[in-house]
Amino acid sequence: MAAQPTGLVRDDGALRRRHPRSGGRPRLPIRNEPLVFGIIGFILILILWEAVVDVGLAKASLLSSPSRILTAASTDFGNGSIWPHIGVSLLEWAVGFAVAIVVGIPLGLLLGVFRRLGMVVDPILSGLYATPTVALVPLIILLFGIGINAKFVVVFLEAFVTLTVSTMTGARSPDRRHLDTARSFGASKWYTFLSVTLPSSVPFIVTGLRIGAGRAIVGVIVAEFIAANVGIGFYISLNGNLLNASRVMLGVLLIGAFGVFIGVVIGRIQRYFDRWRPAIR
Amino acid sequence: MERHVPQDWSPRALMTSATSALRPVRNPRDRQRRSPFSRWVRRHEAVVLALVGIVVFFTVWEVGSRIGFIDHFFFSKPTDIVAAAIREVQIPRFWNDVRVSVTEFVVGYLIAIALAIPLGLIFGWYKRLSYMADPWLNLFNSLPRIALIPLLVLWLGLGTESKIAVVFLGAFFSVIIPTVQGVRTVDRRFLDVAHSFQASQLRLFTSVVGPATVPFIATGLRLAVGRALIGVIVGEIYSQTSGLGVMIVRANENIQPDRMFFGVLIFTFAGILAVVGLRRIERSFDKWRPATEER
Amino acid sequence: MTEQALALRATGIRMEYRDPATRERLTAIERMDLDVHEGEFVSIVGPSGCGKSTFLKIVNGLLPATDGEIEIRRTGKGNDHAMVFQDSSLFPWYSVIRNVAYGLACRGVPRKEAFDRAMPMIRLVGLEGFEQKYPYQLSGGMQQRANLARALTVDPELLLMDEPFAALDAQTRELMQVELIRIWSQARKTVVFITHQIDEAIFLSDRVVVMSARPGRILADIPIQLPRPRDLDLKRTPEFVAYEDQIWRLIAKQLTPETAVTA
Repeated sequence: MAAQPTGLVRDDGALRRRHPRSGGRPRLPIRNEPLVFGIIGFILILILWEAVVDVGLAKASLLSSPSRILTAASTDFGNGSIWPHIGVSLLEWAVGFAVAIVVGIPLGLLLGVFRRLGMVVDPILSGLYATPTVALVPLIILLFGIGINAKFVVVFLEAFVTLTVSTMTGARSPDRRHLDTARSFGASKWYTFLSVTLPSSVPFIVTGLRIGAGRAIVGVIVAEFIAANVGIGFYISLNGNLLNASRVMLGVLLIGAFGVFIGVVIGRIQRYFDRWRPAIR
Repeated sequence: MERHVPQDWSPRALMTSATSALRPVRNPRDRQRRSPFSRWVRRHEAVVLALVGIVVFFTVWEVGSRIGFIDHFFFSKPTDIVAAAIREVQIPRFWNDVRVSVTEFVVGYLIAIALAIPLGLIFGWYKRLSYMADPWLNLFNSLPRIALIPLLVLWLGLGTESKIAVVFLGAFFSVIIPTVQGVRTVDRRFLDVAHSFQASQLRLFTSVVGPATVPFIATGLRLAVGRALIGVIVGEIYSQTSGLGVMIVRANENIQPDRMFFGVLIFTFAGILAVVGLRRIERSFDKWRPATEER
Repeated sequence: MTEQALALRATGIRMEYRDPATRERLTAIERMDLDVHEGEFVSIVGPSGCGKSTFLKIVNGLLPATDGEIEIRRTGKGNDHAMVFQDSSLFPWYSVIRNVAYGLACRGVPRKEAFDRAMPMIRLVGLEGFEQKYPYQLSGGMQQRANLARALTVDPELLLMDEPFAALDAQTRELMQVELIRIWSQARKTVVFITHQIDEAIFLSDRVVVMSARPGRILADIPIQLPRPRDLDLKRTPEFVAYEDQIWRLIAKQLTPETAVTA
């Protein structure tokens, strides 16, 4: 942010320039501040972490450290023992989420377009939305066993409600003016849906995808915590029981990386669908 | 919606004279009288239909369960759940579970707020500091916090502390991120106005930054409720010491679906109550903004 | 004036609303009788909230009138009427050309043909080269050009314009008025134009209909006998100013302090 004078203030008889937000201190101009300071902040914490453990201020067995996590990563990726966990978790996530998309988006559109139907279903959806679906995981495991099917169901349920509710909200709220326009040109119901309702629901659908994807990850982890013998959630809880903090952290970081990755992918999707909107920021 | 001009336009009418080519668009005398009841229903349509939805849902569950359409063994039925609830509330263990879960939720949530709001305001104000925190905030935010449970148990043990920590982490990031965003997106024009009146930093905060950020914080608080509740359940299911999450697991293990659903419904209602309450608070802070259609 | 065919006849239009909160009946339009001849440019002016936009929506079939009849001439080739809405009602998710071709698409015209028929209108309103842009990439004036092109593309008998230049700045607005006259003289449509700018109404129209404050009714129907073609210099002629004065007096009488506050 460039310092710019906003006012001249009379002070001890002399005129002095004032900078509005830095209280008079000029700032170093740095290009791409978010990136530069982001990297600084990231590395600073890593160094601090490593130092605290190496100096002995904290127990390595509990806090681990960046170097120890790296070692754990090279071991487990080196001998390939972590791949099955990653593969199974990815499969659970992808299948459950895909089914949620295929069911949730059309259902949401339907409930949004047929307002009365939507109003009838609303309390049930809101109830499901407010219920932490993870509370149903024990029941689902009881119903579907500890195999992969139970996980598909959990992931589906986690993502589905969010997607449906979000899509429904979008399909309910097209702009009055746009609907009027369609009507005044005599658009059929179906064409009004295609040309007005659907495009104006897209931002809501994308938001639903974003939140749903996150909840789907939660579903994978929780289901694997409770009953599994493979998967990244199982890997984390197993190593937690074995008091192996480095491996726990590794698992957590992998999930985090996946979350960031999915965020980026959905951001891309969003930008593609939002190409008709002025860039935000 | 039908087109308001009829399509069958007889050519004979068009030829006779200019005015005969004019046709009524619609006969407007179509306002039938409606009974007071149906008018009342129309006015409160959303509420009426929602009630219908709830009644249908529970009726189908109850009847379906009785005639065997729904597996009673796994899904119980509403009347059984009510009966289980009545039995349950007479047991001291249940109230102990409630106390444990409520404590975890309240303590974790309050600590999260107490830290997240001030930190969020600071980060939002001092841009470079917030840029430094950004990667970590983003990492934690795109990470399901429940994945950290084994680690927290490792550090804090199986007791209440680890669950408070889970709740805290769930709520903290949901509050701090919108708070930072709120401060960052304060409209430059308002800041310029304040500067032009030579407002002090404190006044700048109380007169511009605060009011502009409150809606963001309120939204964060609302989102945090859900995350915190998930933290309570998963934390309790993971360590299985006490609390309503444990009650759900035990009921499930003993194949007592009525008890289990009672436990789940407690969370549902807690979630709905908290969200409705917070939305109300949100609205009261939003008085100066034009109402937006929102569900 | 030669007796020309009627393009629009509104008889005894009355519009009442019920306030959902207070359950009071509000009369937006008390009575509107209006004949518009083919090829005529008629403006309706009136104080804010006099129901002029409501009237246009009734003509457009977007609102059902409480009472009265709307008759529209129809020859059968294009749509019978098309609306140019207030500030941008373009679909932000469609490019300019898809927006302009929208009316045809609604009638099931294939994409290619619709685009081919939209192009001349895009050229007519001066948007050539902007077909692939999205509305947000256009200025307010350009958006309203596209809006106009969209309405013209369906070749309507009757062009309804609901304060199309209200959101534009003063210079753009004047420029658009000149443009509209040019486009109108080429497209030769019957136009019903709603505005609250008196000079705009006089400058554009063959007739200016003055409406009262709510409940709306017609106060005066003033033929504008100014020569065509018109340019902006016309606005400074004494004849023009006399019309302005006449209409302003009619409207000013409607403005009580109360309506001035809510306006």
